[in-house]
Amino acid sequence: MGIPVRITFEQRGDAPRRLSLLVPMGSVVAALVFGAVFLLATGYSPLDTYSNMLSGSFATSRGVTDTLALATVLICTGVAAAFAFQMNVYNIGGEGQLYLGLIGAAWAGISLGEHLPSLVMVPLVLAVGALSGAAWIFVPAWVRSRLGTSEIVSTLLLTYVGASLVEYVIYTPGSYFRNPNTPFPQGRLVAASAKLDPFGDSRLYPTIIVSVVVAVALAWVVRRTEYGYRIKVIADSPKAAQYAGISARRTTMSVMLVSGALAGLGGALLVVGPYGKIEPSIVNLGYGYAGIVIAALARNNLAAIVVSAVLFSGLRVGGEKLQITTDTPIHIGVMLQGAILLFALGGEAFRRYRIRIVRTGVAT
Amino acid sequence: MRKAHKRVLALAAVAAMGLAACGGDSASTEDTTAPEETAVEETGADYGNLKVAVVYIGVPDDKGWTYQHEQGILQLESELGIEVKRVENVPEGDEAEATMEALAAEGYNLMFATSFGYGTPMARVAAKHPEGCFQWATGAKFLLTSEMGGEFATFDDIPANLGTYFGAAEEARYLSGIAAGKASASGKIGYVAAFPIPEVIRGINAFTLGAQSVNPDATVQVSWTKTWFDPTVEKEAAESLLDAGVDVLAQHQDTTAAGLAADARGAKWVGYNSDVSEAAPNAWLTAPTWNWGPFYVQTAKAVAGGTCPNEEYYGSMADGMVTLGSFGSSVDADTQALIAEKQAAIIDGSFAPFDGPVSDQDGKEVVAAGSRPELLDLLGMSYFVKGVIGSPQG
Repeated sequence: MGIPVRITFEQRGDAPRRLSLLVPMGSVVAALVFGAVFLLATGYSPLDTYSNMLSGSFATSRGVTDTLALATVLICTGVAAAFAFQMNVYNIGGEGQLYLGLIGAAWAGISLGEHLPSLVMVPLVLAVGALSGAAWIFVPAWVRSRLGTSEIVSTLLLTYVGASLVEYVIYTPGSYFRNPNTPFPQGRLVAASAKLDPFGDSRLYPTIIVSVVVAVALAWVVRRTEYGYRIKVIADSPKAAQYAGISARRTTMSVMLVSGALAGLGGALLVVGPYGKIEPSIVNLGYGYAGIVIAALARNNLAAIVVSAVLFSGLRVGGEKLQITTDTPIHIGVMLQGAILLFALGGEAFRRYRIRIVRTGVAT
Repeated sequence: MRKAHKRVLALAAVAAMGLAACGGDSASTEDTTAPEETAVEETGADYGNLKVAVVYIGVPDDKGWTYQHEQGILQLESELGIEVKRVENVPEGDEAEATMEALAAEGYNLMFATSFGYGTPMARVAAKHPEGCFQWATGAKFLLTSEMGGEFATFDDIPANLGTYFGAAEEARYLSGIAAGKASASGKIGYVAAFPIPEVIRGINAFTLGAQSVNPDATVQVSWTKTWFDPTVEKEAAESLLDAGVDVLAQHQDTTAAGLAADARGAKWVGYNSDVSEAAPNAWLTAPTWNWGPFYVQTAKAVAGGTCPNEEYYGSMADGMVTLGSFGSSVDADTQALIAEKQAAIIDGSFAPFDGPVSDQDGKEVVAAGSRPELLDLLGMSYFVKGVIGSPQG
């Protein structure tokens, strides 16, 4: 006995434009409905929960600045992931490149001293952080572009090495990155000129401008330059690219290096912003991994990363604050975040495929 | 979130009988997850101006560090008849500041933060909210000065509404070491430890000295997990120590994972934080435990009375903040008597765990015979004593 219908997924040639807006919005609504059922079943008011989440993240000035503060680094890691993904290169080690960016930026901030003005120092620290992130992906990029070795494995494994490195430079007595005056493992502060002040009494730093400008500039590069065109050709058809005389090897290498640099920049932004030193707790926060989800949410569209990073940050910030403004346990907040992300990603199937129910005719 | 209203009432009854320093036993069995109406008892208008919040690094059900703080918070709730806001699973670092800021904005005027990594965020929020009172567990204020890598120019710039609280766990560590030393036939003991910071190093050393006081050749092998709370990692570290041949495990972790691993291999276990012998009754020897309740109660009362205690409170076995848990069935009467005798000596001050002579790993004398180190030296301890296997640098 079989069911006389079959569900088929037919790939759409070109996803209709209206769907690229409709589907994500529909996904969020579906997720909220799903969450509401769950909330009702566990005895919480969905309306209260959602309005509190909203006021904690987007509907109050404190919520907005907290959300943007988190988005500052997540835009970087999101762009880092998306920039590589759009060429079918899967750098999932943004987390590790972020650590190295943090270490590199801290080094520059400490060692380049007090003599340089902020205007020189801050860009310099950011540049060194970005370079450090690029350096961390150099070997995976090289073996990928030369030998075709899976970058998924190599970039991921290097993340663990990076985490150990962060711990090493903080927990080793006498380490350059550690404050020498105390037996407690505290990072050494960077020079005052390498540190920015937040806006007013918020936790938001001017570094948000850097993140947004980088994302928009890179989106422009991809859309409007020859380099961006090369990336697209390689992504669509490596063979055609080869025929057209485009060096896939060189482009892969450069795309991965830029991707690593962007994640490294994320770490550097933390140094000139809220940290001012290496905070070993960075290895528990998962900013780099979050970048992968953010890239997926934005469907690797670099400009859309800004929006998806802000949305993701709002969910995280609002979810955390749920505990404060309501009696909702933290697990509910985390569950809602997961549901919204899952639905948003799942909705992608509807955009890319036409779903048909086909009669198979004979029921036996 | 309120765990169980009944539990609060039970504790209130205990408190009413004058047993202020109650432990966690009476409350450890229930686990009600359904939310309930929270009817706050109006026991007095005195505390109407008090809004208390606690920021937890983990969850109150961890049967360890956070669980033990939860017992103290429950005692505070029942004695003062107020409700405390818990915020759970807050990661250390920058994002914790958003959480604490939001609490302060909601009008919470007494905040407890139960982890070392909350120091900078809490100090920042304290500076912005002089009307509130902020208490940082396991902290030390001098670490907030720029000289130490913090962000306040001098000690005097640290907000005056910030206090710290902690205690001499090393006293109970030493006593639990005696139980471990007696229990170890091979003289090889393992220690699952979180981070190579002075607090943990001090505990390992005190434990080792206690074990060696009854088992002079005992060694303590350390395995670092670089996490406070991760049952999987803690279990793996415990198993690698058991594979290396240790027959007793101790821990500086928040869960009972090491105890379960020891139990599975027939080894013995010294826990930490909570008296949770039921987790692994056969392996259980004892555990250094905390009793935070009296501190929470006295601090809340002071704040309600208009003062924010901003000293660096360092409790001990003498004042009851540090305690030793119950003994497992394998700890014989002689050992218990010996531990009781040492405990009495610690409480009356005639003995302290680091009384000289003490040598470091290389055999170099670090505390001379007949002398007792200053508290500040203990707080900054960064060496391992002789007999510890492993590196104090992680």
